[in-house]
Amino acid sequence: MSNTDRVPTPNQWKEHIKRLTAGGASYADVRYYSEDLSGNISLHNGNLVNPYSGGSGIAQQSESGYGVRCLYGGAWGFAASSDPAQITATFDRALDNAKTAAGRVSFPIRLADKEVLSGEFVSPCARDPFDVPIEEQIAFLNGLDAVLNQTGVAQRAINLSATRTKIEYYDSEGAEIRKQIINFFPSMTVMGRGTSGDMQRRTYKPPRLGESRGWEIMDPEHWHTEGERLVRELNELLVAPACPVDTRSVIILPDMMFLQVHETIGHALELDRILGYELSFAGGSFVRLEDFGNLQYGSTRLTARADATVPNSPGSFGYDDDGVAAQNRLLIDRGTLVGAISSRQTVTEANAKAGRDIFAGSGGANRACAFNRTPIERMTNINIDPGNDGNLDDIIADTERGIIVSGDRSWSIGSNREQFHFATEIAWLVEDGKRCGVVRNPSYQGMTLDFYRSLTAVGDASTWEVHYVPNCGKGAPGQIMQLGHGIPVCRFDNVKVGE
Amino acid sequence: MTRNIRSKNSPVFVFDTLNQLREHALTRGVRATFSWQREDSRLVRYANSAISLNTTEDVTRLYVTALEARRSVSTSAVIDPYDVPAMLRIVDRAIEMLPHASEIHYARTMPCLSEDTYTEANFDPELATIDGAEITAFVERATRGLETDDIMLSGNFSTGVCERAEMSTASPHINYWRGTDAGITLVLSSLKDKWEINAEQFVWRRADLDPESIYERLAWMREQYLTRPGVRLPLGAYSIVLGNAALSEYAFFLSYLSASGRMEKLGYSMLSTDDVGKQVLSPLCTMVEDPALLATFPVPVDSYGRHRERRAIFDRGVFTGFIREQSEADEYGEIPTGHDVTQLSLALLPGDRDVRTIQEFAALPRDRDILYIPYLHYVGLVNPSAGLITGTSRFGALFLKQDGSIELPYNVRLTLSLRDLFGKHLSWLSAYSEPYGSSSSYGARNPGTVLVPVLGGFEDVEIEISNESF
Ligand SMILES: [Zn+2]
Repeated sequence: MSNTDRVPTPNQWKEHIKRLTAGGASYADVRYYSEDLSGNISLHNGNLVNPYSGGSGIAQQSESGYGVRCLYGGAWGFAASSDPAQITATFDRALDNAKTAAGRVSFPIRLADKEVLSGEFVSPCARDPFDVPIEEQIAFLNGLDAVLNQTGVAQRAINLSATRTKIEYYDSEGAEIRKQIINFFPSMTVMGRGTSGDMQRRTYKPPRLGESRGWEIMDPEHWHTEGERLVRELNELLVAPACPVDTRSVIILPDMMFLQVHETIGHALELDRILGYELSFAGGSFVRLEDFGNLQYGSTRLTARADATVPNSPGSFGYDDDGVAAQNRLLIDRGTLVGAISSRQTVTEANAKAGRDIFAGSGGANRACAFNRTPIERMTNINIDPGNDGNLDDIIADTERGIIVSGDRSWSIGSNREQFHFATEIAWLVEDGKRCGVVRNPSYQGMTLDFYRSLTAVGDASTWEVHYVPNCGKGAPGQIMQLGHGIPVCRFDNVKVGE
Repeated sequence: MTRNIRSKNSPVFVFDTLNQLREHALTRGVRATFSWQREDSRLVRYANSAISLNTTEDVTRLYVTALEARRSVSTSAVIDPYDVPAMLRIVDRAIEMLPHASEIHYARTMPCLSEDTYTEANFDPELATIDGAEITAFVERATRGLETDDIMLSGNFSTGVCERAEMSTASPHINYWRGTDAGITLVLSSLKDKWEINAEQFVWRRADLDPESIYERLAWMREQYLTRPGVRLPLGAYSIVLGNAALSEYAFFLSYLSASGRMEKLGYSMLSTDDVGKQVLSPLCTMVEDPALLATFPVPVDSYGRHRERRAIFDRGVFTGFIREQSEADEYGEIPTGHDVTQLSLALLPGDRDVRTIQEFAALPRDRDILYIPYLHYVGLVNPSAGLITGTSRFGALFLKQDGSIELPYNVRLTLSLRDLFGKHLSWLSAYSEPYGSSSSYGARNPGTVLVPVLGGFEDVEIEISNESF
């Protein structure tokens, strides 16, 4: 859609929507992405090269286009295009697609009522990464690379990944929303081959570092300190003994616990998964509609929420792609399952199928990753409330025999999210309330409900960090989404650790 | 009119377009590569026995890399395929950014095609024009009479035309590919009991669409799931039989963690240069990369114009060496092997067991209990250097008991080393192969498959989590 003189005005978009409703659509919306820009700069062992493709270390990608969604006869139709000459045809195609889909409807789609809003959302960013001269970014990377280039480090990879998206949204109910979202995901990794022959690695992906997430988070002092820590920990890993294979307490730091929550609370509580909309690929959920209000998901220490109002997180986006404003909803209240990650469509269907009003309106979590994808239930910020078990030192002191795990390395989860296996980058053994040495190749596994019911310590607010997820995959066709998790240190007892 | 990706003139149109970009870069005195990807895709998605999404998209992407010997910058964009001035701006953007890049420590090789290559072996005009009504008719036929109030249909029918082309300023030649594909996954699941079974098909021409084989598998599996008892298997070692989907997943990771030269350089390979020429897997295991395998959507020449040839990666278990891309050759002084392609054409060659389907296999007499795992869900790389991966069974495991009866095991987790799986555990492979789709990506449509035997037998494989219900 580079030919901007052919881009419709707001009124013209609305006219196209009116044409669809006049043609029989009971609802229609359009999302126009005037800009969807992503930039990537990678430094690998001092070279501006993408370590995984071997391609250029500087890459910039831009997209622009529009997606039209409409309801006809209780079924969705969708069509998208990047060609401004095809707008009328694309709207028509969306309605045609809905008419085809209406030939096979089992539960006619109805959208929950919403407050019709006009609004604007701009994500907090003091210095747009796309405005930072490439030379300045490279100078930063070279300075950091010098810190990482030390004995024991065989591979050094630093990556700066940024996106800037401008979206206009219009629907047949009168909503009109504009969003500009800048996301910035820097990271650094060091790798080295240990005495056992295995490759070990340490990675730093910063949690929320303040009130905004532009280039201002690239404070050299902070990054150099973190870089020194990574190198130190990598060198400890290179000579560390293997993780024991046994059953013990696991203390999970927020930089790993976010992924545990993501996979076994977040995905498990997406209402489209619960209703069976992802069974052809991503999977379902062990949760059933009758579980809401009844299921003991975890110990009473566990309170989880979907909070799209957390300041400065990719899981906070102002309005979802149903035009619903950001929500803060409880998912698990002191151990009991009470809520889900939901949209206008799924709450209506779930309430009807359950025969009771479980959900009061949409949870505001319907999001699409691009103009050519339809919105589906996506996590916002799926958080665990801080607890009353003190700070990390207090929790360690209270642990007889355990292991502290940090840094995600691999994740594999059952298709209904009923069980899991995680490997982490590093771990420290805990004996008699004291942190002992590092062990390599740590992993742990469990059954989701047994695991959360064995939650025996939740760190206080001093341990609570907001971690970002840049790459949550879901849907068919596939979609990658950005979101967040506010997470304290957590301890679980009787967990199987080791391979 | 050239506006249609299905048109006979489309290859010429793409050549003309890329050549305009090429001439523009040459005028500006810059070396550059251009790559084009266009798709016209249709997806009909089913959930809860309804069409949950019916979507079409016509998207074109342009990728440009401007480069000097030691500097490069890439830009890409979703474009209007007829808006050349906008494409030139993407070229200009790369050219403008290039001086700002710092030099790398080695020189990059510029792709230089010495001839035009037009490949349309996987393009089927019949499949290219399949419409929504024909897709829904296929699904109706493949699932007729199998749904109930409790048993719901889910699935995807994803199809499209895809067109890719490459050119560089080094020569006025094009490497063009156009193909069609359809990937079908149909799932039946019980709302009440939460079991799920599936059938899949990956084809490039309409004549290969076979709703009857999907129906036969779904109907047979459904019968088992309605009449046999569910069982939680005790942890321990089992004789297992893997289906086509599970085998392709393991075969893909085997190639990724052993054949990929880039993974070796990153230290993430389960093999090293010391393993070349050694027997590292079972003699039953031969894996090839073969551009003659039409089912894998091959290209005859790679991005650097090298004619591709069949080579074994594992020849009866002997590791023949790493696949090396040009960028590894440039950076590490290796010799490129002609594998700079969008999708490898991988096949795990068939064995000698004369069995075509799980239906047939289950009817054979057996001298032990056998756990059938059709599909592997959500594989994690626990320790890449050890080839250790983990995943969970899905879509209809069966426990085929020695006495001829069948039980329905709840899903189990396998955490194992690929070296062991394709080494000491591998017992037999079916004599028949089928392609399994690997094109389900999060980005552009680029069809690809791995060709693997329909069934494979493995002995003494440990399960480490056994679910408490379906
Ligand atoms: Zn995810």
